[in-house]
Amino acid sequence: MNQKNEYKGRAREKAPFLFLAPALLVVFAVLLFPIFFSLIVSGFNWPLSEGAGTRHFVGLGNYIGLTQDPEFWNSLKLQLGFIFIAIPVELLLGFAAALLLNRDFFGARVVRSLLLLPVFFLPILSGLTWRFMLQPRYGPLNNLLLKLGAPEITWLGNPITAYLAMIAQDVWRMWPFMFMMLYAGLTAIPAELIEAAEIDGAGFWRKLRTVTVPLLTPTIMTAVLLRIIDALRIFSEVYVMTEGGPGSATLLFSLYTNRQAFGYQKVGMASAMAIFLLVLSIIFAVTLVRRNMSLDVLEEKAGNR
Amino acid sequence: MKKRTRKILIDIAVAITAFVVLVMELYPIGITVLNGFRRDIVILSGQPFKLSQLTLRSYQMVLKNVGFIVGMKNSIIIGLLSTGISLFIGALASYGIARFRFRWRNGLAYSFLVFRMLPQISLVIALYLMFSFLGIRDTIGGLTLAYTSFNVPYVIWLLLPFFTAVDRAYEEAAMVDGCTRGGVFFKIFLPLVAPGLVVAAVFAFLNSWNEFLYALILTGVKAKTAPIAINGLIGGETLTWGQVCAAGTIMLLPVFAFTIGMQKFLVRGITAGGVKG
Repeated sequence: MNQKNEYKGRAREKAPFLFLAPALLVVFAVLLFPIFFSLIVSGFNWPLSEGAGTRHFVGLGNYIGLTQDPEFWNSLKLQLGFIFIAIPVELLLGFAAALLLNRDFFGARVVRSLLLLPVFFLPILSGLTWRFMLQPRYGPLNNLLLKLGAPEITWLGNPITAYLAMIAQDVWRMWPFMFMMLYAGLTAIPAELIEAAEIDGAGFWRKLRTVTVPLLTPTIMTAVLLRIIDALRIFSEVYVMTEGGPGSATLLFSLYTNRQAFGYQKVGMASAMAIFLLVLSIIFAVTLVRRNMSLDVLEEKAGNR
Repeated sequence: MKKRTRKILIDIAVAITAFVVLVMELYPIGITVLNGFRRDIVILSGQPFKLSQLTLRSYQMVLKNVGFIVGMKNSIIIGLLSTGISLFIGALASYGIARFRFRWRNGLAYSFLVFRMLPQISLVIALYLMFSFLGIRDTIGGLTLAYTSFNVPYVIWLLLPFFTAVDRAYEEAAMVDGCTRGGVFFKIFLPLVAPGLVVAAVFAFLNSWNEFLYALILTGVKAKTAPIAINGLIGGETLTWGQVCAAGTIMLLPVFAFTIGMQKFLVRGITAGGVKG
């Protein structure tokens, strides 16, 4: 790189700042300042409207209050359960599909592209469609059950089935994402490696264990981390599908934060939750960025072109 | 010969399995689109699908629905505004990162990447209080500003691979000819990366188009977007699934048009570049 050239002269020194200034300004105004402000609000008993009490400083009171709030632990449990159930299922389905579709059969390209449509389906439409499919009487799923002579189930009226339905919705929408990432990783594995294993007499499982999975591990890690970060943010699909209900059976972390702030009007408490989720997300995001994203690799690739 | 027939048989089995999986996977999208062409009363009776019952009634109703039309208009305006602003600001910043060496360069670039992944709920409460204080809650300008918070970092990283791929020789030649840095950027560099700008614009627009949480909290009546309006079509006793599906299908049109038109860039669009691989 011509570093020498770039550092020459004071005018050049200012140039990157001029290019970056607008972005820094926006990021400060709508990202960094709100985070800083949330941190301050989380130290107050801060009612949303005046009728709901007085605003006063409570220090770490909201954070301590959270640890004593059973609803907080419940939403955390639901959130973690969601991540630990949905993402492994998505990974397995995506991996199986990537292995299956990594060959040239008639229509392979079309199948591979159409499979991705759910990933781009509007999240709220996905939530509403699943809500429709699970309705009693007219919903297609219960219709099928009735036709088979089975009793119908009010899926979204029962805590356990509603929770599973919410997970099913996410699996349906996002396993093709796993497929897409893993398929891209799979096609990048050099054919010679697979052939070499075949010449050595390796069968399907052996090839999978000794060649495919080890070479695919970085891709799997990236995909899983991206999904975890995404799953921590989940809101709209669940909001339109169940609104966190019945009761608080599907009240994931973001939904509970929203309910705290705009339902119970406890903005200070909600801000403490927001900060907690933020820290959690930053930990995963930094892990992902450190492991899998690199400015240098980007530039090396560009240099090779 | 025997090996060849075996391969063909496996191919056929795979093709059939893939086709079955695909049909099951696309079923929810299919019924959404189909239900937009059925009457609510037919949908609610749980009747099987009949071709003769197709109708445009739900579309007529929804296009006469003032709430949805206002939402649609706002969605388009906010989507275009936020895309334009984010693209401009993001392209400048991306160029700054791609072309200059300065202290904090890596730290800054990676921070933008992390910013893109922050949960919206963590920001929206503070934004609600700030916007209320400034009097820009429930305005198109306010929501546009909120949308730039995720679109600017997104655009920066989506553009970086396109920007670093351009040979510096073009700019250096123009600088020798007496062009300023700004002139080089706008006249020489941007035309060279036009495909990247198009990809970034499309995905930034889709980000705004699909957004729900900010719109839910930061708008009320005037600036509400189409997703909010669609969710408002259903609730309590009103089970107008036909209209929900018709409105949803209208919203899906640009999404699927872009998805199919941008096959090559989908992985990049979702991971926003920079994935080692």
